[in-house]
Amino acid sequence: MKAGRADRIATIVFWSIGLVSMAILAFIILEIFGRGLVTAVSPSFFAGQPATNQAGGGVGPMIVSSLYLAALTMLISLPVSIGAAIYMAEYAREGKFNNFIRFCLDSLATLPSIVFGIFGLTLFVVTFKWSYCLLAGAFTLALLNLPILLRGAEESIKQVPQTYREASMSLGANRWITIKKVVLPSAMPGVITGTVLPIGRIMGEAAAVIYTTGLFIRAIPLSPFDPAAPLAGYIWYAQTEATVPDYRQIVNGGAAILLILVFLINFSARRFARFYAKRKQLEVKL
Amino acid sequence: MIGDGNGNKMRVKNLNMYYGDFKALEDISLNFPSQHITALIGPSGCGKSTLVRCLNRMNDLIEGSHMEGEITLDDENINKSSYDVISLRRRVGMVFQRPNPFPKSIYENVAYGPRLGGIKDKEKLDFIVEDSLKKSALWDEVKKILKESGQKLSGGQQQRLCIARVMAVKPEVILFDEPCSAIDPISTQKIEDLMAELKKNFTMVIVTHNMQQAARVSDYTAFMLVQEQGEPGRIIEFGDTNTMFTNPSDKRTENYITGRFG
Repeated sequence: MKAGRADRIATIVFWSIGLVSMAILAFIILEIFGRGLVTAVSPSFFAGQPATNQAGGGVGPMIVSSLYLAALTMLISLPVSIGAAIYMAEYAREGKFNNFIRFCLDSLATLPSIVFGIFGLTLFVVTFKWSYCLLAGAFTLALLNLPILLRGAEESIKQVPQTYREASMSLGANRWITIKKVVLPSAMPGVITGTVLPIGRIMGEAAAVIYTTGLFIRAIPLSPFDPAAPLAGYIWYAQTEATVPDYRQIVNGGAAILLILVFLINFSARRFARFYAKRKQLEVKL
Repeated sequence: MIGDGNGNKMRVKNLNMYYGDFKALEDISLNFPSQHITALIGPSGCGKSTLVRCLNRMNDLIEGSHMEGEITLDDENINKSSYDVISLRRRVGMVFQRPNPFPKSIYENVAYGPRLGGIKDKEKLDFIVEDSLKKSALWDEVKKILKESGQKLSGGQQQRLCIARVMAVKPEVILFDEPCSAIDPISTQKIEDLMAELKKNFTMVIVTHNMQQAARVSDYTAFMLVQEQGEPGRIIEFGDTNTMFTNPSDKRTENYITGRFG
């Protein structure tokens, strides 16, 4: 009887913990949407130009900045991290060197983003003379995201069953062809879903972008060398500088938009991974 | 020329095989007669799978493994670094213990080998795919679903798909590493029938746990054993399957095939 009671209590305890974490998330989402959703969905806000010294400004160029920056960052960091992951998972021998690379990656992953921001400022903005621009931000964020992306890709590649590789090699394929034709296609859905978290982080990153892309713009950035003002950085800027009377509204609306964007990206990346898996006839759980 | 002039497609002579410092096989000498089936039997861990993986140098994939001795294919030693292992594997195909079709369509599974060989022509590929699936007795079951995933087939069908995939490369020797250990008896029967049929054109080697299977399908049998734990696997007896199962010359072989151990 005693065991049965302990089991019941354990069930209730864990169920409550689960419920509490869900409740916290729900509270945050409701709070953000409650304060900012009305502002967020008004076209003059999400498509409008930011104002200076007067109320009624929008965040159109900032949304474009965020999306443009996320795309550029992924464009830079995905090939590098997939390449490095292939090396780590398929070519490198397990041993001191590999462990050293992992140690470096883990250290890089735990570095505060402000450090990346200062690094990006010194290297890209000042030394390379790019001044504040999307590309400087993208390279900085690429460095910031490399560890997570790489680890995710490495795990996905390692999860491809060894029997696929054996079958391919036994048919006369060399290692590279095996990777290209069998291993990577099977690992791809995992790699794609592994990009969700980093994209969310890019969109939400403020500290690393304020020193690299810029804080305030009026024109929509077109070239990668244009200055930009990603939404997260602009929220920080609007709140601290408070040069406009309605800065509260801008902050709340901006937060709601950021949340919506992250949800949308998360959702579509999963859909895309599932679609890809289905097309390639892979069995995956997402 | 087929074989070495004595009717042997492959020969193993004084082979020692190591995983790092561990000696897995010792002094293996064995012939694989052309267009016959040779079975390798013995208890778990006796090195029979290791031996069969020496024949297409699949053990090369394992870090730290190496072989000493001679393995010949048509009288040419394949155990030297200058030997083109890609062409070896295309001549000596392999069917694995667990059916391992790629996560691709049935068609693409079979076409994988020919594509590697540089065949791009759609008509040629279509022909090879159909021909290989017919040879592996799977065509009638899958001809309408060639575009579907090979992994949706049943275990037995998957294994025949793997045989078709090997067939498509047009090998001379086919190695079966316990091909029926993960599939049901009816599918096993189909695969055994298939092997008997394929014997006309191929030299085959089968590793099996199942002595009845060895007795049913093979012409020659090698019995392998590890005497004491930690020792390498050795060949205890090799000969004609009938003689081996009715009148083994070694006491240990007799004990094994009568089920006294293993």
